[in-house]
Amino acid sequence: MRAVRSGLSALVITSMFLLAPSASGASSPPSRARASFPVTVLSAGGKVTIASRPTSIVSLSATATEMLYAIGAGPQVRAVDKYSNYPPNAPITNLDGFSINAEALVKYHPDLVVVSYEPAGFVAQMAKLKIPVLYDPAAPTLAVAYHQYLGLGRATGNYARAVAEVGRLKARIAQIVRTTPHVPAGTTYYYELDPTYYSVTSHTFMGQLLGLLGLSSIADAAGVNTNGGYPQLNAEFIIQANPDYIFLTDGPCCQVTPQSVAARPGWSVLSAVSHGRIVNLNADIASRWGPRIVNLLQEVANAIKKYQG
Amino acid sequence: MVAGVSTTVPLLIAAVVLVVVVVVSTAIGPASLSLATVLGVLASHVPLVHYHSSASAVANAIVWEIRLPRVVLAGLVGSMLAAGGAAYQGVFRNPLADPYLLGVAAGAGLGATIAIVTPRASFEWLPVAAFLGGAAAVSLTYLMGARTGQRSSGTSIVLAGVAVAALFTAIQTNLQQQHAADLQPVYAWILGSLSTASWTDVRLILPYVVVSGAVLLAHRRLLDALRIGEEEASTIGVHPQRVRLVVVAAATLGTAAAVSVSGLIGFVGIIVPHLVRLTTNASYRVVLPVSMISGASFLILADLGARMLEAPGEVPLGVVTAFIGGPFFIFVLRSRRSQQGVL
Amino acid sequence: MRSPAPSPGSRGALRVEGLVVRYEQTVAVRDVDLAVAPGEWLGLIGANGAGKSSLLRAVARLSPYEGGVHIDGHDTARLSRRHFAQLVAYVPQKPELPVQMRAIDYVALGRLPHLGYFGAEGPQDRVHCGELLARLSLAHMSDRPLGAMSGGELQRLVLARALAQEAPILLLDEPTSALDLGRRVEALELVDELRHERSLTVVSALHDLTLAAQFADRLVLLAQGSIVAAGPADEVLVEGSLDQHFGTRVQILRSDDGEVIVVPRRQRERT
Repeated sequence: MRAVRSGLSALVITSMFLLAPSASGASSPPSRARASFPVTVLSAGGKVTIASRPTSIVSLSATATEMLYAIGAGPQVRAVDKYSNYPPNAPITNLDGFSINAEALVKYHPDLVVVSYEPAGFVAQMAKLKIPVLYDPAAPTLAVAYHQYLGLGRATGNYARAVAEVGRLKARIAQIVRTTPHVPAGTTYYYELDPTYYSVTSHTFMGQLLGLLGLSSIADAAGVNTNGGYPQLNAEFIIQANPDYIFLTDGPCCQVTPQSVAARPGWSVLSAVSHGRIVNLNADIASRWGPRIVNLLQEVANAIKKYQG
Repeated sequence: MVAGVSTTVPLLIAAVVLVVVVVVSTAIGPASLSLATVLGVLASHVPLVHYHSSASAVANAIVWEIRLPRVVLAGLVGSMLAAGGAAYQGVFRNPLADPYLLGVAAGAGLGATIAIVTPRASFEWLPVAAFLGGAAAVSLTYLMGARTGQRSSGTSIVLAGVAVAALFTAIQTNLQQQHAADLQPVYAWILGSLSTASWTDVRLILPYVVVSGAVLLAHRRLLDALRIGEEEASTIGVHPQRVRLVVVAAATLGTAAAVSVSGLIGFVGIIVPHLVRLTTNASYRVVLPVSMISGASFLILADLGARMLEAPGEVPLGVVTAFIGGPFFIFVLRSRRSQQGVL
Repeated sequence: MRSPAPSPGSRGALRVEGLVVRYEQTVAVRDVDLAVAPGEWLGLIGANGAGKSSLLRAVARLSPYEGGVHIDGHDTARLSRRHFAQLVAYVPQKPELPVQMRAIDYVALGRLPHLGYFGAEGPQDRVHCGELLARLSLAHMSDRPLGAMSGGELQRLVLARALAQEAPILLLDEPTSALDLGRRVEALELVDELRHERSLTVVSALHDLTLAAQFADRLVLLAQGSIVAAGPADEVLVEGSLDQHFGTRVQILRSDDGEVIVVPRRQRERT
C-alpha cells in the first residue's frame, strides 16, 4: 500500500534525468573503474554528487534494496530498513523508511542513503551532514523504474551491471508476453488492494504491467486518474462489472483469500468466482517496482494460460 | 417554534421523509437498475409472499446483498449517532457536545488500529476491537471525571474526556508509526465508510442500537428535567448523576457499536439534533425521537452521496458529512437563534 | 393577621428538630427547631446571611444537614427522592428557565414525581397542567417559549410547575425579589389564594417585612443561623430587635386596620 500512496508524488515528477559524470567523456561507456567517481546523479530529490564509490549504503526503500542487490551492489550495502525483507540476506535493521529517524540512520555512517519516501527537509538535513541521498519514489511506469536502476548503478559504481539487469528484465517481460495466449478483447480484472475495495486503474504501474497481457481494469470506469489511479470502488459496481479475473494483494494484511472473496454476500454471482479465476498475488512484489515484477507477471500469465487452455 | 404544534406532527413528518429517503436511495446506485427490477427483487424477499422476480441473479445480489443492507446500516448508524448526540447535549447541557465527546472516537480508533496491526488478529475482529476500545475510553473518562470532579459536574467529565482522547490518540498514532505498512486500512476506517456493508453488520449492531435507543427514548423526559439544572431537577425527584450515568452509558454503547462498523463519521450527532431543535419545540420528548428518525434519513442521503458523487468510485462517507457539516456549523454559529442558547 | 387556612386533619405538617447546616468552616443554621401546621404560612425573615435560604435548602434536601426534618411524622431523609418530591415543592430564588422550553413543557416537569422512571404523562397529567396554566392566567401562553415571557408571567409559571407536583408543602425562597411593587403584592396574593384553595403549607423566606407581616400567619426571625424571635407579626416585628438584627434603624407603624408596617429610617439626620 505504501507504494500506492507515494505513487502520487511519483506522478508529479513525470520523469527522471540522470546526468552523466562531468569528468568522464560522454562517449566512453562507464565501467567499474574508479575513474567514474565523483559522479553526479539527478534523482527526484535533486542533484546529488557522490565523491567516491559508496561502501556503506543504507537503503530505506524495500524496492531500492531489491534493485541494489540485483545490480551487484549488495556487498556495498551496510543496512536496510525493516520493510526490506528481500533478498533475505540483506542486513535488515529497525530503521523505518516511512518514519525516518535521522539519528538512528547516521549511526550506520552511510556514504549513500536511498529512500522512496522523503519527509520534508530530509535531503537538506542529510546534505548538512554531507550524506548524499537518492530519492527514488514509486515508479509510475516501467521506464521510470529502469531509469532508477541506471541511476543506482551509476551512483554505486555498478552501471554496467545495471544496464545488463534492465536488459534482462525487458527480455523476460517480452518473453512472458510472447508466450502467454492472447486474451479476448475486453478481458477485465478487479485488482483488490484492501478489503474496502481500493483498486488500481490501468494507468498505474501495476495496471500497465497487466495491460501488457491484454487485461484492463474495471476501475477505469471511475476515471483512470481518480485518487491517483487508486480509487475505492463501489461494491455493487464490482458485481455489475463482472470482472473476468480477480487479483488479490490483501492476503497478508487482511486475511483475504479466494475463499473469503467467494463467500462475500452477493459475490457468488461473479464469473471470476464461479470459474475460480481469483489469483492471490504476492503483496510485497505488487507494492514494489523492483526486479521481481517479472515473477508477478509470470503468476498472472500462468493464471491466464490455465484458464485459457 | 410554532404555537400549537403537537409532538406527533414532527414525528410524522420525519417518518414520511425517512420512508421517501429509503425508497429513493434503494432505487439509485452506481449499478443502474430499473425501478421495476429493484422493486421486483424487494418483493421476492418479502416473507410469505411467493413472488418470483424475473430479475437476474446479479440484480438480486446488487439490490439485496449490497445496496439494501448498506441503506439499512446507514440508517441505523445515523440514527444512533444523532440520538447519541442529542443525549450527550442533554446531559452535558452543551449544544456542541457530540457523541464522540468522552473519547469514544479515540478509543474506537485505537481499538481498530490494534486489530489492524496485530499480526495474527483477523480483519473480522476490527468492529469488536473498535467497540471495546470505545467503551474502554469512555469508562476511563468516567472514572477519571468522577474522581477528580467535585460534585461530579459535567465539566470535569468533559475535561477528563479531552485528556483520555488525547492519550488514546497518542497511543494510536505511535502504533500507526510503528506499522506504517498497515496504514491504509487504518486510514480507510478513520475516514468512515459503509462500502462493505452487509446484513452481517446490520445484525451485529442492531441489538445495541435497539437497546441504546430504547434507553435514551425512555429518558427523554428526564433530559428535559436536566434543562432546569441539576439542583432544581433533584427537587422534582430526579437523580441527575444517575440519569447522566445511564444516558452516557447507553449513548456510548450505541455509538461505539455504530462506529465499529462505520468508522468515524462526524457532524451527524451535532447537525441533526440541532436542526430538529430549530424546527420543533426543543423538548427532548420531541428532539430525541425525531433526531433518531432524521439521523437515519440524513446518513442514508449522505451515503447516497458517497456512492454516487464519484460513481463507480467511492467518496469516504466521513468526508461527505464533513462537507455538509462544516458550512452548516458556520451557519449555526452565525444564526441568531443559537446565540440565544439552545438548551 | 389572617387565620390559618382551614385544613382539619390534612397532610402537610412540617417539623424541624435541631437542624444544623454547615458550609466548610461556617455554620449557616444552628440548632433550629420549627413546627409548621398543615395549611399554615410561615415567613422566614432576617438579614442577608441570617440563614433563611440555608434553612429552606436543608428542608428541601438540597444541602446536607444534621438534625431531623419530619413531614406528617415521616423522617424526610428516609424518603426516596420521588416520594419526597410528592410532598415538598421548592421554588428557588432564581429558577433556571431554559429560553426555548415551552410553558406547557415546563409545567409538565412538575408531574415527574408522579410518573414512574420510564413513565410518560397521561392525558390526565396534561389536563392537570392545562388547568394550572389557566388558573394562573397563563392558558394563552401554553406554547410560548420561556424566553418570550415577562417577569411576572415567569413567576406565575414557576409557581405552576411547583403546584403541578401536588405536594402539600410549598417552600418559597424570596419568591418576589425580582418583581416590582405591584407584581410583588399580586404574586403573594396568588400564593395566599392557592394555599387556601389547595390547603398548602407554605414556608417562605421574605425580604419585605411589611408584606411578610400581611401574608404570613407566623414569622420567624433568624440571625446568625439561630431563631431569635418567633410568633405573630406584632410580636416579632419590634423596633429594638429589628434595629439590632438588620443593623439599621426602623420604625414600626400601625395601619388603620391594625396591620404592622415596618419603615426603615436613615441612620443620620438629613443634612
